[in-house]
Amino acid sequence: MQATQLFGRQLLADTMPNVSEWQSKLLRRPAMTLTAQWAICQRCGQRTVKQTVRLPRNNYYCPHCFQLGRVTSDQWLWSLPEPNQFARQSGSPLSWTGQLTPAQTACSQEISEIFAAGKTHLLWAVTGVGKTEMLFTGIEQALMKGLRVGIASPRVDVCLELAPRLQVAFVSIPQIVLYGEMPGSYDYRQLTICTTHQLLRFYHAFDVLVIDEVDAFPFAADPGLAYAAEQAKKPTGALLYLTATPSKELQRQERQQKISVSYLPARYHGYPLPEVRLKLTSKWRRSLRKKQLPGAVKRTLKQIVTNKKRFLIFVPHVKDLAILETSLIQSFSALKLATVHASDPERHAKVQRMRDGELDCLVTTTILERGVTFANIDVIVLGADDGVFSTAALVQIAGRAGRKAAYPTGLVQFFAESQTRPIKEARRQIRFVNRKAQREGLLGVHDHD
Amino acid sequence: MTECLLCHRDNLRQPTLWQLLNFRPVENSPLCQTCLNGFKAIPADQSCTGCGRLWPDRLCSDCVRWQGLAEFKNRALYQYNDLLKQFMSQYKFYGDYRLRTVFQTQFCQVIKQFNVDLVIPIPINQATERQRGFNQVAGFLEQLKTTDGLKTLALDKLQPQSAKNRQQRLQTKQPFTLNLGREKFNKKRVLIVDDIYTTGRTIRHAAKLLLDAGASEVRGLTLAHG
Repeated sequence: MQATQLFGRQLLADTMPNVSEWQSKLLRRPAMTLTAQWAICQRCGQRTVKQTVRLPRNNYYCPHCFQLGRVTSDQWLWSLPEPNQFARQSGSPLSWTGQLTPAQTACSQEISEIFAAGKTHLLWAVTGVGKTEMLFTGIEQALMKGLRVGIASPRVDVCLELAPRLQVAFVSIPQIVLYGEMPGSYDYRQLTICTTHQLLRFYHAFDVLVIDEVDAFPFAADPGLAYAAEQAKKPTGALLYLTATPSKELQRQERQQKISVSYLPARYHGYPLPEVRLKLTSKWRRSLRKKQLPGAVKRTLKQIVTNKKRFLIFVPHVKDLAILETSLIQSFSALKLATVHASDPERHAKVQRMRDGELDCLVTTTILERGVTFANIDVIVLGADDGVFSTAALVQIAGRAGRKAAYPTGLVQFFAESQTRPIKEARRQIRFVNRKAQREGLLGVHDHD
Repeated sequence: MTECLLCHRDNLRQPTLWQLLNFRPVENSPLCQTCLNGFKAIPADQSCTGCGRLWPDRLCSDCVRWQGLAEFKNRALYQYNDLLKQFMSQYKFYGDYRLRTVFQTQFCQVIKQFNVDLVIPIPINQATERQRGFNQVAGFLEQLKTTDGLKTLALDKLQPQSAKNRQQRLQTKQPFTLNLGREKFNKKRVLIVDDIYTTGRTIRHAAKLLLDAGASEVRGLTLAHG
């Protein structure tokens, strides 16, 4: 085995791997530790009651992370300490020449300091703010020092979208993109872009680790991934969380001053986030089954259509897509629309058609809640009180509107049978950042570039 | 824990007040009702008597071809649909041993009806068993008395059955040998249990061995046919 394959990685095996001249540097940790009651996985950090995961040979396995190869208590995790074997950079590797707004520059400055100091930090930046660009200076400085940099996101599509942008920004730096069903194999590179699950394979590798969209599934729901992030960075390394909708837990850590936070509460175009309008609508599913749109929904849509705006409609479940589509066609026969869900084979094509302006309306589930930008659209959520819409999801959905400088406003209308906690919380968060932006004088500095 | 082990949705059935108050053991499946309904059972009276697949007639076209071993009858509990494939992959290939309990009660009930002397799980080779940590068929039969009457000839498997095509599968040589003396099988009614019946090659090899050892009747039971 190539020694580079093990630099900063943790390999699960019952026998010692052969890494020739690096053999003496090999680190070996038991893959699980056992207490009287618990079996604790050393890869994902999660503990399980021993009885439930006992195998016939009196060993135990971890039921949380077996997707990456099952960890059992009789195995070892092998790794080689990260040696930072990268080519020295003589000049700056940053080939991006764009401009940051003053607010972005301030944030970017702060990020560089966090990276240099090796601290853990949360950047709360509203949706559509240009987060990636703010990282560039910090990453540039880290790369020039020969540090290993990792950028992880819970979502594969975000990784795949991020990678080419980073490749363009840092042309001379070799990068690798890691995710579950990737075509190639792992390679040791200075810049790693990966899904948060892939972090489980790293051990003390990164000097700088950025976790994008910490509020997104599955990172938010899986404590093993937070553990993986801690473990994938070096003990002295910096860890930066990016989010538009911090969880209660992160907000609590901030209040307790366990984590430092910086805010970017306004979009680069200087307009506030569109605030959510809520309309209570009872029994919308029943109307849809009769192939009718609920009155309030129909009035709103009529307004949107007369304004010649295009729009997204979010529904809670895949099975709602078809019935809504029929009712829409019934009421608005001239509308060019499509439905899209996670396992739709034409998903990317349909999104592209919406982007190109070929469609007037896209009916979708939460899969389009983040990572997509359409110009000049209105956003509607039908059944916003459904359990699938978390606070983070609702804030993200609302954040689809008004993202482009040319069309900085948009309607965000929720229809729900009742006001739920996530709806209240989402509206509160949006008002909070808008007020904060107002106070910091970030609004009204409309620069169109 | 209230999360379904297969779809990870938070919708396991909670015990009802009645179940809690009547002081009998509560049978809780680790899977949710939606997943359990996704497994499609093969009713015994609508299956091929040879291989157990869903078949309106008595003997399916495959089994007509098997006539050389006409004695053998297999029963399959479920169709090998996508959900069951997902189940087997998580159980067998990822090694999630918790899933063994899902079909245990059912195996108990069905095997009781068979009324046999010996229940023999199909063995897996040593290397696989060491790596997986368990025999997937023995896991299903945990609550029953079974006999390890067979063992594999090879210590290591060069190519798993699932990686072969039909022709290659059918040409597979006898992979098993007896693990106990012949007298143990003499005049015994035996039930062989396996996870998936595909071409029938594996289970028929096992059946032949046991019949040759003197068993009076050998039948087969598999979780799925596919």
